[in-house]
Amino acid sequence: MEQNVIHLEDIRRYYVMGDFMVKALDGVTLSIKKGEFTSIMGPSGSGKSTMMNLIGCLDTPTSGLIDIDGENTAGLNETELAYIRNQKVGFVFQQFNLLGKLTALENVVTPLLYAGMGVRERKQKAADALERVGLADRMYHRPNELSGGQKQRVAIARALVNNPTILLADEPTGALDSKTGSQIMELFEELNAEGRTVILVTHDKELGMRCHRQIHLRDGKLEEGYAV
Amino acid sequence: MLFENIKLAFSAMRGSKMRTALSLLGIVIGVASVVAILTIGQSASSSITDSIAVGGLDMITVYPSYAQRSTGTFDEEFSDTLLRDIEGLTTVLPQNNSSAQIRSGQETISASVSGVLSSYGEVLNLEYTEGSFFESMDNINYRQVIVLGSDVAEELFPYQSAVGQYVSVFRNQAKSYLVVGVLESKDATFNLSYDNTVFIPYNTYGQRFTNTYGVGAYVLKVQDGYDTIEVSDRVTEYLDGIVGSDGYNIFSPASLAEMANEITGTFSAFLAAIAAISLLVGGIGIMNIMLVSVAERTKEIGIRKALGASPNVIRGQFICEALTLTIIGGLLGIALGAFISYGVTNVMNWSLHLSYTSVILALGFSMFVGVFFGWYPAMKASRLDPIDALNYE
Repeated sequence: MEQNVIHLEDIRRYYVMGDFMVKALDGVTLSIKKGEFTSIMGPSGSGKSTMMNLIGCLDTPTSGLIDIDGENTAGLNETELAYIRNQKVGFVFQQFNLLGKLTALENVVTPLLYAGMGVRERKQKAADALERVGLADRMYHRPNELSGGQKQRVAIARALVNNPTILLADEPTGALDSKTGSQIMELFEELNAEGRTVILVTHDKELGMRCHRQIHLRDGKLEEGYAV
Repeated sequence: MLFENIKLAFSAMRGSKMRTALSLLGIVIGVASVVAILTIGQSASSSITDSIAVGGLDMITVYPSYAQRSTGTFDEEFSDTLLRDIEGLTTVLPQNNSSAQIRSGQETISASVSGVLSSYGEVLNLEYTEGSFFESMDNINYRQVIVLGSDVAEELFPYQSAVGQYVSVFRNQAKSYLVVGVLESKDATFNLSYDNTVFIPYNTYGQRFTNTYGVGAYVLKVQDGYDTIEVSDRVTEYLDGIVGSDGYNIFSPASLAEMANEITGTFSAFLAAIAAISLLVGGIGIMNIMLVSVAERTKEIGIRKALGASPNVIRGQFICEALTLTIIGGLLGIALGAFISYGVTNVMNWSLHLSYTSVILALGFSMFVGVFFGWYPAMKASRLDPIDALNYE
């Protein structure tokens, strides 16, 4: 039996907005296996981001169960969720979300800092991760001294550095030109080829189709014909 | 982690220099005033003690009340009674005082006249610019000899040596006294001014000035190793038993010094408490800047949370930032306070006694302010919802 790194069981996530109940996710059941390269696609408002936030333990569902790497996340407190984010999930965002006052190296070191790793070891690991994404010569540059593609590489190195179970990317090429975007996509493909589980959230069909598996969302539900 | 937090704090301060400087100012002023007030208070107090100590911290003077003087309780023998009955005394000397006109040639000066025994000079460690104190034979033989205070000698004999000259002392009638010594000038301590006093033998005084047998004052010297204030308390208790508390007055520089210390101590503690309020106000400034800092860095907090920072870690970061601010403010304030104290004590001509208690107190208090006023903004930061924080622009 293949190992599920993510399992969602009848997940619902409702928000109250004024007088309305927004059903961002409305009964989603889904499993993702180790080493899969999956895209979550759908128009805006379909629940993609909500799903990513739930998988990344930034958010908790209104009802339903989420297992991350075999661990049930229901009922965990903020500190325990932070631990899972730190250990099991690497985030890559559309707007890079680098810490502007820190150098590339310091940015990549940050998750290791929260993991409680020693100074020498975390510096080494961060330098390795930057080297892996091809930025060995940009370690001491701050984000404002880097191009968009370079920033996203730093963000990917930061997502990778703690060797997470899942790499979660939210429109990672959305803020990049098509050529740079394509290079970033290649980097994800390489990382997947190395055995990492990658989940790509995108509304770009072409990009989504480059992944090995597509999940389509519409109005908070998995779309017919794509059921898993 | 601590090191990273301190580094972050400094980088946040660099990011908004003016704002940081203004909020630091509150802490700096608060700490500086606490340190300056306590240090100046301590310096003033020790300067007062020094000036009181001139009168001899081991001396106690007992003044029988006027009414008691004629009852016969306070006679010369009472000196020996005191010496015998009270533990911790080496000497008890009777003394009589009054004031008189003293003349030499055309110059006349009003001075205090003390009739004392010959050992008085030695007991009070008096020093002389010329001559010496009179001898016991002078007293036994009722001789008309006199020791002049420095001001008196200066006034009556401005151009010549006083010793060997005669002065007239007026009391009912003028009598001529031979000057045997002139005292060195000594700082005055409250009502004890040696410079404007002249000393004549006790017996001579008795013959020329008073017809009562009473003694005007007893000068008590405390034995080495005894606490003057304790001995003074024993004397008080003893005399209360004999004549009641209305029957005499007691005076000792030591108890005066203690009182002065208590007063300056209370006073500067009171002022320091007021200054501490400004520290509290400074703390509100810190809270304000921290709240602004948290609001401005909402996005950063969201990113850090996404990377796995727990609420504790975020809280730690912001408390550390507040603490760094207040510690820097505290150190600057201590420097400023020390500088102000140095200036004031210099102008007042006091010796500087930097109050280390106040330094530790001020630094400790400003750290407390940092934690206390940093807590709420830090809590607020740690409780931010990660998604809201991440999406914050």
